[in-house]
Amino acid sequence: MDTIKISSFQLFVLVFLFEMGSAIVVGIASGLKQDAWIAVLLGMAGGLLLFLVYHRLFSYYPDLPLTGYVQKITGKFIGSILGFLYIVYFIYCASRVTRDIGELLTTTIYTNTPLFIINTLMILTVIYAIHKGLEVLARVGELLFMMVYLMAFTGFLLVVFSGLIHLENLKPILENGIMPVIKKTMGETITFPFGEMIIFTMILPHLNEPKKAKFVCLSGMILSGINIIITTIINIASLGTDLIIRSPFPLLSTISKIELMNFIERLDVFFMLYLVIGGFFKITLYFYAAVLGATELFKFKNPGKLSFPVGFIVLFASLTIASNYAEHIKEGLKIVPIYLHWPFQIIIPMMLLVIAFFRNRKKKQKTNSDQTSKSEMSPANQ
Amino acid sequence: MFLFLHFVIPHRLIPFHALNAGNLKSIFEKLDKTNRIGYSNQYWLGVSSSKSEAGVMSFLSRMFSKQQKKRQDDNIRQDQDPGKPEDLPILRDHKDNINRIKEELGNSTDVVIREYTLGTHKGAIVYFDGLADSKAISDFVLESINENHTEDVLNEPFKFLLEKAVALGDIKVVRDWGKTYQLLLSGETIIFLDGFNKAISGSTRGGERRAISEPTTQLSIRGPKDAFTESIRTNTALIRRRIKSPNLWLESMKIGRVTQTDIGIMYIKGIANEKIVEEIRTRLNRIDMDAIGGSGYIEQLIEDQTWTTFPTTYHTERPDVVASQLVEGRIAIIVDGTPFVITAPALFIQFFQAPDDYYFRFDISTGIRLLRILSFFLALIGPATYVAATTFHQEMIPTTMAIAIAAQRENVPFPAFVEALIMEVVFEILREAGLRLPRAVGQAVSIVGALVIGQAAVQAGFVSPVMVIVVSMTAIANFSTPSFAMAISARLLRFVLMGIATFLGFYGISLGLIFMFLHLCSLRSFGIPYMSPLAPFNIHNQQDALIRFPIFTFTERPHLISKGNIVRTGTNQKPGPPKKSENDSAKKGDQE
Repeated sequence: MDTIKISSFQLFVLVFLFEMGSAIVVGIASGLKQDAWIAVLLGMAGGLLLFLVYHRLFSYYPDLPLTGYVQKITGKFIGSILGFLYIVYFIYCASRVTRDIGELLTTTIYTNTPLFIINTLMILTVIYAIHKGLEVLARVGELLFMMVYLMAFTGFLLVVFSGLIHLENLKPILENGIMPVIKKTMGETITFPFGEMIIFTMILPHLNEPKKAKFVCLSGMILSGINIIITTIINIASLGTDLIIRSPFPLLSTISKIELMNFIERLDVFFMLYLVIGGFFKITLYFYAAVLGATELFKFKNPGKLSFPVGFIVLFASLTIASNYAEHIKEGLKIVPIYLHWPFQIIIPMMLLVIAFFRNRKKKQKTNSDQTSKSEMSPANQ
Repeated sequence: MFLFLHFVIPHRLIPFHALNAGNLKSIFEKLDKTNRIGYSNQYWLGVSSSKSEAGVMSFLSRMFSKQQKKRQDDNIRQDQDPGKPEDLPILRDHKDNINRIKEELGNSTDVVIREYTLGTHKGAIVYFDGLADSKAISDFVLESINENHTEDVLNEPFKFLLEKAVALGDIKVVRDWGKTYQLLLSGETIIFLDGFNKAISGSTRGGERRAISEPTTQLSIRGPKDAFTESIRTNTALIRRRIKSPNLWLESMKIGRVTQTDIGIMYIKGIANEKIVEEIRTRLNRIDMDAIGGSGYIEQLIEDQTWTTFPTTYHTERPDVVASQLVEGRIAIIVDGTPFVITAPALFIQFFQAPDDYYFRFDISTGIRLLRILSFFLALIGPATYVAATTFHQEMIPTTMAIAIAAQRENVPFPAFVEALIMEVVFEILREAGLRLPRAVGQAVSIVGALVIGQAAVQAGFVSPVMVIVVSMTAIANFSTPSFAMAISARLLRFVLMGIATFLGFYGISLGLIFMFLHLCSLRSFGIPYMSPLAPFNIHNQQDALIRFPIFTFTERPHLISKGNIVRTGTNQKPGPPKKSENDSAKKGDQE
């Protein structure tokens, strides 16, 4: 397990694809109308601070993933329970993303295809990826990163040349004051997508240059944040405030408005290609975090062996977590951020950090005093 | 009784199953002649006498022992061979030797045994007709033996033969039968002399060989026009002519219990990664089969992963390609009897690099290379896209075009997938038939194919004209991949993607492609990630990946392949008109 190593560029790519994953697909903070992008910006700032907490924990225990140092910090018993809860949380998140994509496809293009089939195919691909391991996943990320960026850039140009951008849609800025924006930031954008960086606490020990972890992850978050902001602005500017509230997938609506020379039109398929790639990475990374955690917690030797059982759990959870799309979205917007994301992404890591800080200070003092006593002893011995 | 015989008679002489009442008599006669009297006596005499005559021979044997030891190392594998003669020494009496050869080779008619007399000594020259160069034998061996000789020559006839008479470049002294047969079968001439328990082998390899001709599978517009042949020696020479460096090393081994095929590993010492060379060596040494049919066998026996459609070793019939790859630190495996040389490690991007990429300027080469990669993906997902678009995503087709396609498909009785499958399969059949048919009939097939696919099928309403366009586009796109091994894998995967597209449209295709990328990224060729330098991304090796940068930027070898020795050019290789200061100094030089 320790032999798996990824380079800092690969980590950057994974952070980028993970953050972009489903955040671009579902319009985040769309309830704020034209101020959604401000909420994303604030959410990014909060997310960066949050990541510093995760990184601090990582620097205390550079060889251990989250589920490993949780046991060191809070003791074997509580730590194991917390670690187990994290695994369940990761699995739940993976199944949520799977459901997101499945719902999108069944409501837009594959109206006659059962959700089960769509999700099964996705999970099978993810299982294959987990089976091949993190290194292979990171390499595929490098390949698809270029492809995604090329596609995004082309899409951006097409939107601009189709004359869809109406910047006046963005005004007036902060129509209802700053409070709703802050509320939305705390309730949504800080946890999704930026707080989801918690899964990288599982992957950071595999980085071949641990010193670069902070820089790489932060820059990955900033780049993806900027991309999400640009996308949000384009969505608002081209759809207008009325449409954006009602549209479940604003980017899809924007893309289907592209029309150039009466020939380049209905580019929904490329949106779907992006969706599959982004969704794939998001699911796989959540999945991988869960598998890594389970391997660590239950002392398995080979993480690849867990891919099938965990895969089935994710698949069936993705079908059963909500009975329909409305329920799924309501859960996602109202319940999950407050009862799941906040505790797992913010409260527990902060408490861990406080405990770890005192523990390590004690340890440091101890070693310091050991050293001083030794250095005092040694001349006396001579 | 049978059991007893089996123990007494060396079974290499008479196979056990040949023992029956009918030929028992002859067996006993043989046993008498060769084994009891002739063979064993000679054997012991040979050993004792060789001790007594020290002098010249001990010196010579010492001289050759090093070489022999090396050769023995190469031939360790042969010990496992059940049909091979054991390492028994050559006999003193040359008549016995001749009988033995005749017996063991089953009186094969292409063995030539020419007896001669050197003064009072009798002897025999043995070679295989067709394998050895009979003109060389008559000119450089027989003629000098048959001259009149002085007395002191005849006192030491073996020394005379070895040092003077056999006027050939590469001569060896052989003492055992295993080596004798091995040399004989590779075209050398063995010279026996009565009274000596050793023989001389002279290198007279020759016989008919195909001349060097133009490459037939990898054509190039501006590149050299020579291609490898079936002879390993010609092939190594073709490479050596291009790399005149003493660091170009060639290791040889023989693989195949029965076929004893010559294999050469060629690499440039100091550039090639020692670890990979060692890995190739061990993988080749592991091979223990009766027959090696050609480099295709070797390729399949040493590759990293069998369960993949993608080739993880490269093969080419162009010496210039091999030479440039050797300089990059790759290792070439040359197999006797095949005009295709394997090189390893092979990377994905390498299969899209054609030799002309380097002979033309970089802008053109880049464009063409991108076109090739595009056409690879076109060949991969062409029919799948058609199936997906007509089954699931009609809305993505522009309206006028959609109406045209719908009108064409109106009379077609099949769903899009069946239509595509029929056409693709028919095309594959035609292609395969065209490959196997005699050249004279080939044209007939292409006419039938064009008529059946192009005209009749459309007119009969079995397939739509759009489908014909898609199939032919796919086929042509597939041919534009420079490497056949890579093209053929796209050919196979195309059907898989078509199947997924039928059920899940573009969602299926994109998942299928992610699956393929995952597989590609998990592949390794001799430990090197298959998709490098794209994934893992290496900024220093991008000059010859997707985009072919100008030649002067080729300053570094592939990092993963040639570890250590990376710099390949001097600094500042950028061409251009001389700078002003240089110009001035040049003028000054002229004036002086």
